[in-house]
Amino acid sequence: MSESKIPKELTVYEKLSAKLDSKALRFTIFTTIAILIGGLVEIPPFFMMGQVQPTDQQKPYSALELAGRNVYQQEGCFYCHTQLIRPFKWETDRWDKARQYGPEPYSKAGEFAYDHPFLWGSKRTGPDLSHESTIRPSAAWHYDHLRNPRAAVSQSIMPAYPWLEKTPIDVAETLASMRALSVVGVPYSDAQISAAESELAGKTQADALVAYLLKLGRDSVAPQAASR
Amino acid sequence: MQQPEYDNSIVRGWVISAIVWAAAALLVGVLIAFQMVFPELNTSLPYFSFGRLRPLHTNAAIFGFTLSLVFATMYYAVPRLLKTPLWSPVLSRVHFWAYILTIISAAITLPAGYTQSKEYAELEWPIDILIALWWVVMCINFFMTIAKRNEKHLYVAIWFWIATLVTIPILYIVNNLAIPAGLLKSFSVYSGVTDANIQWWYGHNAVAFVLTTPILGMMYYYLPKHTRLPIFSHRISIIHFWSLIFIYIWAGPHHLLYSPVPGWAQTLGMVFSVALIAPSWGGMLNGFLTLTQAKEKLRTDATLKFILVALTFYGMSTFEGPMMSIRAVNAISHNTDWTIGHVHSGALGWVAGMCFVALYYLVPRLWNAKLYSERLAEVHFWLATAGILFYVVSMWIGGVAEGLMWRAVDAMGELQYQTWAEIIDQLKIYRFFRGLGGLLFLSGFLVMCYNLVKTIRASGEGFEPVDLREAQPARA
Repeated sequence: MSESKIPKELTVYEKLSAKLDSKALRFTIFTTIAILIGGLVEIPPFFMMGQVQPTDQQKPYSALELAGRNVYQQEGCFYCHTQLIRPFKWETDRWDKARQYGPEPYSKAGEFAYDHPFLWGSKRTGPDLSHESTIRPSAAWHYDHLRNPRAAVSQSIMPAYPWLEKTPIDVAETLASMRALSVVGVPYSDAQISAAESELAGKTQADALVAYLLKLGRDSVAPQAASR
Repeated sequence: MQQPEYDNSIVRGWVISAIVWAAAALLVGVLIAFQMVFPELNTSLPYFSFGRLRPLHTNAAIFGFTLSLVFATMYYAVPRLLKTPLWSPVLSRVHFWAYILTIISAAITLPAGYTQSKEYAELEWPIDILIALWWVVMCINFFMTIAKRNEKHLYVAIWFWIATLVTIPILYIVNNLAIPAGLLKSFSVYSGVTDANIQWWYGHNAVAFVLTTPILGMMYYYLPKHTRLPIFSHRISIIHFWSLIFIYIWAGPHHLLYSPVPGWAQTLGMVFSVALIAPSWGGMLNGFLTLTQAKEKLRTDATLKFILVALTFYGMSTFEGPMMSIRAVNAISHNTDWTIGHVHSGALGWVAGMCFVALYYLVPRLWNAKLYSERLAEVHFWLATAGILFYVVSMWIGGVAEGLMWRAVDAMGELQYQTWAEIIDQLKIYRFFRGLGGLLFLSGFLVMCYNLVKTIRASGEGFEPVDLREAQPARA
């Protein structure tokens, strides 16, 4: 670069920088330190707090529900549906009008304790699904809706998923999924894993996805509402 | 001193890779934009449904198109700025082909439904390992080149690329730790709230260290090269570099406001996001003030116009972002089309804009031919700018409308729009215009492709850089 015509006093940080940018190794180390600080403040505390405890009634996904969660991931449902209800009246009213989830029906940390990965989503093109089990408890409705969303809701812009009913569940993959999840801390017993094979026999991806949708929010229903 | 031998063939490879993946990203982008208006476009084939094409769109745009040009620029500029040939041409080729293999695997596995379901980190574990490997190969090559340089001082563009080189692997590895459950299936080792926190620490810094710092490096390289004028202020460069890389890392939790992530983390994310305005605008101002020194050329030079618009959109989206991370604004904007508009004002305006600058600068020099048509470059510029405006404005209006409809209550405190379908229906028109904006942007891109192909086919006819400091004769 050309020399400036007006000689100017170098400031302290310019002198520092001139020293630093001729020492590449030191420059790289300082850069690394600068970028690590924010992460070090924000991430280790999560591990120091220990694992988030599941809510009292929260149960891990059954083999079929887990296979459904895999289908949910495979089809990228979370790009359009959130699974997180924020603590606003207009969100809780929309997804829990009957107050079945108690006086504070927004999403709590414990509800996601078994979720690897989390599937909160970042865009709500379709409605939130956190409480789908109580909003649309009918399996038949979900089958129809997946096959042809426009038949169930005329204005819907959801893709149709006709192939789900024709695709059998990959049983081996689901069993491997349960084993992998038990490695990262989801309490699946050996008995559960070995019983899974018969639970999954003859089931399709549509069966699994519907089972998953009907699991969403089920374990978070307030006890008094559940016994009603 | 004698000019060292520079290896242009590797840069040419990256340029072609960028154009191919940009075409894929933009085509898929336009298709999925219209899928949100005409759901029949999803067809009954799994591979063409929205949920499978969306990760293909983002990965092709970010890691296919943008990263290719970042690498093109690095392989072109780093040896020249350090007055030394690249340390290892072999490693540069290993990097290139391993990268191409990665992106091809992404283009196959994503539509086939194999995904980790983490935004911008969808690729499954074998591909992740491949990425880590070529990133190491690339780092070795660049740091060795830096080590044996013939120019003592590292130019500011190189600072930004060093920040990219060291930060991406840290973010990528921590976020992608997973237990495999098969060749193309794995589960994040983190659960729920922790997983969300780490994902957005990564996700936001993919924006920082893939879509911001290397692009700023491109701005610091191409702007002075193209105008043959020095950067306005070295002082601003120093301050905004260090503050930018320090602050950006903290901003992730603004994606998780009002979620069960602890309040302190949300507040930190919000505060640092707001603070990010200062370093971001430092970079923008440094660019603008450099540009004003060559302002009379803005009328005739399409590349400079792209830099101007890119900087404008950088300034706009780095103002918008901090605003959206304020809790009260986030309550309306989060989960709506507004977010999509915000992302694209950065991605189409700033990132793609600077990438086009890189292409218009590099292609004539790499193939030693004059740009086929300045006028077509001008056409591209206007199509792209109009496209972005269509896109962003329709998403702003649609997004705010969406957020307001969700929360609208009547006098009795009942939700005014009880059914979701009602809201979807009203957003249709904005989403249609968004698709048109994308289509305009895509057509501008195709004009550029034609222009560049014509330029490449004239390869070897000779390239004379125009000195933008001198008055140019009026064009016929």
